Amino acid sequence: MAFRVLIVDDSPVMRAFIRRIILLSGMEETEFLEASDGCEALNVLRAQWVDVVLTDINMPLMDGAEFVRRLEADDVLKSLPVVIVSTDSTESRMQQMLALGARGYVKKPFLPETLRQELERVLGGAYAR
Amino acid sequence: MPDNQWDEILAAAAGEVLETMFFAGVYGPAEPGASLTGRHLAARLGFEGTPSGALTLSISEPAVRALAANFLAADDDAAPPVSQLGSVVCELANMVCGSLLSRVKTEEHFRLSSPELLPEGAACPPVPPNQSLDVGDGNIDLWLALD
Repeated sequence: MAFRVLIVDDSPVMRAFIRRIILLSGMEETEFLEASDGCEALNVLRAQWVDVVLTDINMPLMDGAEFVRRLEADDVLKSLPVVIVSTDSTESRMQQMLALGARGYVKKPFLPETLRQELERVLGGAYAR
Repeated sequence: MPDNQWDEILAAAAGEVLETMFFAGVYGPAEPGASLTGRHLAARLGFEGTPSGALTLSISEPAVRALAANFLAADDDAAPPVSQLGSVVCELANMVCGSLLSRVKTEEHFRLSSPELLPEGAACPPVPPNQSLDVGDGNIDLWLALD
């Protein structure tokens, strides 16, 4: 099953790392789109549909919290599953992001297996096909 | 929290990040300031919360190259370009700081600033590092300053 994943992170090396981990996890046919902040990500999503968004929180221009708020306020984009991938891993921050509408949370540093499991959980049956 | 406890969780945080994200190990303590004796890269980031402070990380160039190759899965024929080494050091500092703060029991959010790569020759804090680690291909020094 081929997926289209949007990776939102201001660090190009972290985007490259996440791409590699996803490909290694068995999702070899995944197509990747990238953005360096929430603003750029919204522009990508207005032009193209994706299956899942992986986003950092701490980014310039528009951070991950505001990005998730904007997605939730959009009638079309609110159904899009968002997984937070962040070094900001205090319990209160996780609860805040989940309350805003994020479907999952992966704390950096993470094992490759952890990211794979979270994608599997969020994508549900589609992942197994 | 006593200073020695901060030092312990800083070492644990660095070890976790190196192992899980860089597929590298800590071979043991290094001479304090060992990373500064040759070419090295350094990054700093601040954090706000309870407590607030800053983390500075310095890493010897051979160690950066080895960690960057692991992180980006580069082979010997396609070593990561120099331009990416600084980004890798910033990401390493960012994750060590995040892992450190996640071990602090608090109900509060911490706000991390974006890591900043220090210019070549810029001074690291004029005090002994809180942790100095031998990572095989080189050394890492870490300074934690709490407000």
